[in-house]
Amino acid sequence: MDSPRLHWMRGRQEEGPGVPRTLEWIGCDDAGEAIARVVRIRGPVSTGWRQYWAVALDEEARVVELRPTPPEGAGWLAYIGGQVVGRAALPLQAVRTAEAALGAD
Amino acid sequence: MAGTPLEKIRNIGITAHIDAGKTTTTERILYYTGMSHRIGEVHEGNTTTDYMEQERERGITITSAAVTCSWKNYQINIIDTPGHIDFNIEVNRSLRVLDGAIFIIEGVAGVQPQSETNWRLADRYNVPRIVFINKLDRTGADFFRAVDSLKEKLGIVPLSLQLPIGIEDKFVGVVDLVEMKAIVWEGGELGAKYHDEPIPAELEEQAREYRQNLLDTALSVDDAAMEEYFENGDVSVETLKRCIKAGTISGAFRPVLCGTAFKNKGVQPLLDAVLDYLPSPVDVPGIKVAAEEGEDEHADRRIIKADPNAPFAGLAFKIINDKYGTLTFVRVYAGTLKSGDTVLNTTKGHRERIGRMFQMHADKRQEIKEVSAGDIAAFVGLKDTGTGDTLASPEDPVILERMAFPVPVIDISVEPKTKESIEKMSIGLQKLAGEDPSLRLRTDQETGQTILSGMGELHLEIIIDRLKREYNVEANIGAPQVAYRETITRPYTETYTHKKQTGGAGQFAEVKIVFEPLERNQGVQFENAVVGGAVPREYIPAVEKGIKTQSETGVLAGFPTVDFKATLVDGKYHDVDSSALAFEIASKAAFRDGMKKASPIILEPVMDVEVTTPQDHVGDVVGDLNRRRGMIQSQESTGSTVIVRAHVPLKEMFGYISDLRSMTKGRASFTMQFHHYDPLPRNLADEIMAKSA
Repeated sequence: MDSPRLHWMRGRQEEGPGVPRTLEWIGCDDAGEAIARVVRIRGPVSTGWRQYWAVALDEEARVVELRPTPPEGAGWLAYIGGQVVGRAALPLQAVRTAEAALGAD
Repeated sequence: MAGTPLEKIRNIGITAHIDAGKTTTTERILYYTGMSHRIGEVHEGNTTTDYMEQERERGITITSAAVTCSWKNYQINIIDTPGHIDFNIEVNRSLRVLDGAIFIIEGVAGVQPQSETNWRLADRYNVPRIVFINKLDRTGADFFRAVDSLKEKLGIVPLSLQLPIGIEDKFVGVVDLVEMKAIVWEGGELGAKYHDEPIPAELEEQAREYRQNLLDTALSVDDAAMEEYFENGDVSVETLKRCIKAGTISGAFRPVLCGTAFKNKGVQPLLDAVLDYLPSPVDVPGIKVAAEEGEDEHADRRIIKADPNAPFAGLAFKIINDKYGTLTFVRVYAGTLKSGDTVLNTTKGHRERIGRMFQMHADKRQEIKEVSAGDIAAFVGLKDTGTGDTLASPEDPVILERMAFPVPVIDISVEPKTKESIEKMSIGLQKLAGEDPSLRLRTDQETGQTILSGMGELHLEIIIDRLKREYNVEANIGAPQVAYRETITRPYTETYTHKKQTGGAGQFAEVKIVFEPLERNQGVQFENAVVGGAVPREYIPAVEKGIKTQSETGVLAGFPTVDFKATLVDGKYHDVDSSALAFEIASKAAFRDGMKKASPIILEPVMDVEVTTPQDHVGDVVGDLNRRRGMIQSQESTGSTVIVRAHVPLKEMFGYISDLRSMTKGRASFTMQFHHYDPLPRNLADEIMAKSA
């Protein structure tokens, strides 16, 4: 199996009770610079007065609504820079998607 | 029992559609774990867990049997459950007390209706489970199609831990995707000999692809494992197993293994998977205490965790009467108990002294002196403990979450052939009903006949057979009847005054009761909303008793009335002339009068029917189901056969099997199970009312 080309580390964690779940994995190059991110899609999320079907963290860790709503089974977004380069059901698949997109550049 | 560390105990069930191989798999497990020295076969009628005469004669499992075995120094308590829908209560109560389950899926047919029903039951009780795709030696077997059926029919994430090597008569072993090796059975010695070898070259690529999927899925539940993967490009076997276990317990995915129990291949890795991936009593969150009256069923409640040093708490989940007396099967959730100790039956509010205790091995028993958290044992000497009752220490008298029982759909009348048998029949039926909560007994108030209500024709046939064999009662049996029910469709408030003056003390009671319809399957509910003592507290139970007794005989055609609420809102009493009896009579009369004015209707059971038919008979089958007032739900092609699913009133399904056979030249088969109650069409309701009049 191919080794990941980036060094991946935990990004932001979900707050709340129990074991914190990672919301974001950050892929860095050998110099330690963040090149790619994979981000968990959450939803539906209710803010008390409005319901969002799907949200994710953006670069600045703001929760943003995803439009159109991702198809069923898409659990993670892969970003290179600020651009979404793909979706995947599982985080490792999203990591591969991000690395494949990097390789295609 | 006491002595085995909790983390080395597994309480598991084996469940599946009828004839998928549950008992056959259990037999292999008992053989490979050294609990039996030969393999029994269902078709030869000599299996360990099918010990009842009826089970051996018919080749089916009727009652769930508990057996204990040991594998690699772990204690595995196994409950083998029936597959036939008529005995679904056994699956229900077993899943309620188990920590994990093996779901056996047939390698040819994939997920079948009863697997689906049992799966939903396991969902209800949050039972972690692994799937075993069995019968891969059979013609037409297809592992990948069976896995797809898990996704499609159960909506789950199946996680293949193995791939088959060969298929049908060429099936020889499995690829283990966790350790990336092949396991091949050598034949002979009843499957006890097998060895590891490298993955066959032709399967290498497929194995790599499935292993990647395994990593992708399993590691997603554990961030530390993800980091290990990023660091090394792979993870250790221990890490991978830890992730699979975590995902199995949380239900994020369901591990899938495969084999052929009948041909003795695949069972030992299945046992390893039970140890590796199914939880011990300490791995599960524990059991919730029951909701207090009026409390939200879904609200957070206290959880009793498995701890041998905590106050005792256990759940009676099965009762058996045999020649030695009554055996009460108990799952111990917390604490330790010794023979001779006294516990509280917190459900019924009385004390019970524990006589002898046994570890059960199907119909054989081994006496034990102590049980503790995590154990399943049978107690002798309990006087009044029924299925679903909680036994607890007086220092912490908790009531554990109750069990839900299915609704009986078929009635038969039963009468003893001789006068001498009247008492014997009554005792026998009471005991059988005590063992089986899906069997209900009542007396038809008009004819005086005893009516048995059960889950299906086979269920009642077995009960009558047991009555004859175990209690020596010959009985005349009426033809099976649909278990109709009555209910109301609008609220009505009825006031009834019962007044009688016959010289001496009179009778006086007045009740004002609001009758309201409820959603389906809510039964009969009673509430006392009297304020200011208009009806003294001591008479309230009599009012409730009157309503519940009278509800057994509905106002339209005498069927039990269900799904309504009666609220006592007001009333009057007399210091001298009022009594419990007077209030019971008044509430019965209020029911009779009030129900008539609350727009009563008759309900009929509607079945979920699944017919598997060859393509060329689909038209006949669908047309016939329509004639039976069926509503077609779906038609699905699988190769040369079509599965037709429909909702059909039970009344129209009597004798269906012979019609189906003649219609399809014996090539189609069907299964059915209760789905819901629906209002009976007016013309049919009129017919039934005319008959009962």
